[in-house]
Amino acid sequence: MRIWSLVCCLVLVLTVSVAHAADKDTLVVSVPSDIHTLDPGVSSDNYDWRQIYPCYDRLVKYKVENGKGSTEVEPMAAESWTVSPDGLVWTFKIKKGIAFDDGTPLDAEAVRYSLDRTLAIGKGPADNIGAIASMKVVDPQTLEVTLKNPYGPFLQTLATDGASIVNPKTAAKAVGDDKAQAWLAENVDGSGPFKVTEWTRGQRCVLEAKPNYWGGAPTIKKVIIRFMPESADRRMALEKGDVDIAENILIDQLPALEKNPDIVVHRFPAQMTEYVYVNCQNKKLADPRVRQALSYAVDYKGIIDQVLQGNGMQMRGPIPQGMWGHREDVFQYSQDAAKAKELLKAAGAENLELTLIYSERRATWEQIAQVMQANLADIGVKLKLELMSNPTLRDKIDKGDFELCLGAWSPDFADPYMFMNFWFDSKNAGLPGNRSFYKNDKVDELVRKAAGLSDVAERKKLYSEAQDIIMQDAPYIFLYQIQTIVPMRKDVKGYVFNPMLESMYNFETISKN
Amino acid sequence: MRILAYTFRRLLAAIPVLLGVSVLAFLISHAIPGDPARLIVGPKASKEAVEAIRKEHGLDRPLPVQYLHFLGGLLTGDLGRSIRNHRPVTEDLADYFPATLELTLASLVLCLSVGIPLGILAAVRRNRFADHAARVVSVVGVSTPVFWLGLMLLLLFYRHLSWLPGSGRLDVTSAPPAGVTGLYVVDAVLAGNWPLLREAVSHLILPAFCLSYVYLAIITRIVRSSMIAVLGQDYITTARANGLSAGRVVFKHAFKNSLIPTVTIVGLSLGELLGGAILTETIFAWPGMGKYVVDSVNALDFPAIMGFTLVASTAYVAINLGVDVLYAFLNPRIRY
Repeated sequence: MRIWSLVCCLVLVLTVSVAHAADKDTLVVSVPSDIHTLDPGVSSDNYDWRQIYPCYDRLVKYKVENGKGSTEVEPMAAESWTVSPDGLVWTFKIKKGIAFDDGTPLDAEAVRYSLDRTLAIGKGPADNIGAIASMKVVDPQTLEVTLKNPYGPFLQTLATDGASIVNPKTAAKAVGDDKAQAWLAENVDGSGPFKVTEWTRGQRCVLEAKPNYWGGAPTIKKVIIRFMPESADRRMALEKGDVDIAENILIDQLPALEKNPDIVVHRFPAQMTEYVYVNCQNKKLADPRVRQALSYAVDYKGIIDQVLQGNGMQMRGPIPQGMWGHREDVFQYSQDAAKAKELLKAAGAENLELTLIYSERRATWEQIAQVMQANLADIGVKLKLELMSNPTLRDKIDKGDFELCLGAWSPDFADPYMFMNFWFDSKNAGLPGNRSFYKNDKVDELVRKAAGLSDVAERKKLYSEAQDIIMQDAPYIFLYQIQTIVPMRKDVKGYVFNPMLESMYNFETISKN
Repeated sequence: MRILAYTFRRLLAAIPVLLGVSVLAFLISHAIPGDPARLIVGPKASKEAVEAIRKEHGLDRPLPVQYLHFLGGLLTGDLGRSIRNHRPVTEDLADYFPATLELTLASLVLCLSVGIPLGILAAVRRNRFADHAARVVSVVGVSTPVFWLGLMLLLLFYRHLSWLPGSGRLDVTSAPPAGVTGLYVVDAVLAGNWPLLREAVSHLILPAFCLSYVYLAIITRIVRSSMIAVLGQDYITTARANGLSAGRVVFKHAFKNSLIPTVTIVGLSLGELLGGAILTETIFAWPGMGKYVVDSVNALDFPAIMGFTLVASTAYVAINLGVDVLYAFLNPRIRY
């Protein structure tokens, strides 16, 4: 009994003080997983970018119009720029007076060093700015960038995390030829409004505001990113006021959250799309009529209303709504079992048996797979479902060793190139983007031509023509573009969602009152 | 002396065991289809970028060469760099293992301090109220899903009653103590930071209870049944006939003899707990080994998987050895 009384006493003593919510100067964001690196030249992960992006400046940034994020860019560290008539040489004028924490000026050399470093490391971020052939520092405020080919989306790629401007003094931190990767993985050295002051693995990452930031001091003095893997746990902490923003709350927990008067659940149309890769190289799926039949079989409305509980919108064409190049008049498939059966009959593909592979990456995929199984059964196609781990799934996609596969895609920069060229150019077959191994010479020609032009109207025309062909060839089943859902405490003000900056925040302009 | 010689022999025997485990772990982890290099550079990267990463991490070499390279590093205390975050695996383990150790020790304290008295009580008051109550506690413990229990504990004690803090090792706004041992409770004491100590202990209660509940149930059952067996023996009747007090009979004569099965179970549980507890860690945002290894497997982070395997298997071997040595103390008839 003595032990029991001891335990009871201990509990009583300990329960006197329980966590206090953060004050007005501190913003706490709870997120599902730890980050991997702080190096902008290495990470291809939005969860890492969440911390990296506010610590650095870039040449350009996304515009904010009437409190809404846009996919157009405006000057940030660059004052202005010009482009040669052939679209190959870009000349940037760099703003004067921007400096890193140690006083090193952010000049043309710093920009050259940073872009060059990302390219030399050659990981994910390098692909986004891979159009750069060479750079020349004309004078401290002028940088001349020469491209390999004219590249329409070039300016947009300079707003990506991989184009962050790093203090050139970090070169001294290199170990061997690692280009300071070991050091920059754990530290930041940028001229942005925040800096990372603590990263405790598996627990939290702390960013502190720089009061003398050249763009104006942030209102929030400190941001704590708290890693909490369980959705219900994040929800409880949000409701208790221990955290201010909770990411990735499961859809079925939202209705209850919405009833809480202290919480606002923001919903934004996102550029994240989910779709099914239909392997065009597979014999069973080589006939476009079979692929069309599959697109006609799916109950899009049922999936969106029931599985996503309304948090999504059926895709119309490959380019999502909100991205230029999206067409409201392009053909859209809807469920029509009779038509699907007819098409299968015409293609001589009755009694078809297919396998759909998917991973646990999304909580909704299991249900979607089951809906599709039922939908395909309605048109006489037997669908086998195979759940596998993400690495295995990716390996199969890369090798083309599948028939149907559930996937998700979000653009790295704001240009239809991210969809039209990645998804349909036969050069990108496999994991890089053309995951249905689709090959149509006309489409190849159109999208490649569009990529090399900088005239938006001209590019729109080419992409538009390609979309009509694609919808008939049906290399993917275009399911839906999702909504990004961000539940936060009511006193968090000034949050701006940008579809290009999924899971990322404008900490510099957010406040709490 | 004998026991020392025995311990030494067992330690030597542990080397081939650990090697065997490492070979198995190496082969199994490499048998998972998938390319870690592709996972690092991101799906949109070019084939050349993937090749460069394979080279950088030595993934392009034949498997036996990779394994020998791992062993070579091991001799100098180098477990290689994690493929995921480029960090030395030893540093990762130094971050995650103390969290697991702290949680395990706290659970163990709870398990033993509640499980053993409950088991004794149930045995002594066999088929009476205390026994039935202990049985209910253990049946509920064995059959409650950890996932559900953890959430219910948080919901009740954190969300509604506000008696205990939420998930994590410390409050959201608190920075961890300067790391000496990585066990926050110990580090807070060493730093003389009493508010932080209180915070660290209060954050331990719910996850430790959640984790220990299943084992507590098992220990209660084992203590009960071995106590009943011992209490039925002749020497106990003799002790009672000689007029020894009930407490003396139970604690001095019966309990020690009933401990062997309990020590066995505790040893096994401890080994298992030190490998991390993925469900408890996930619910309570506890940065331990379980979550670390699951994330490593998902990313095919071979050096991290190997580092974990090594730590977990060493813990098992050490605990088993400890249990065997303890047997000799508990029962002098056991000689090595």
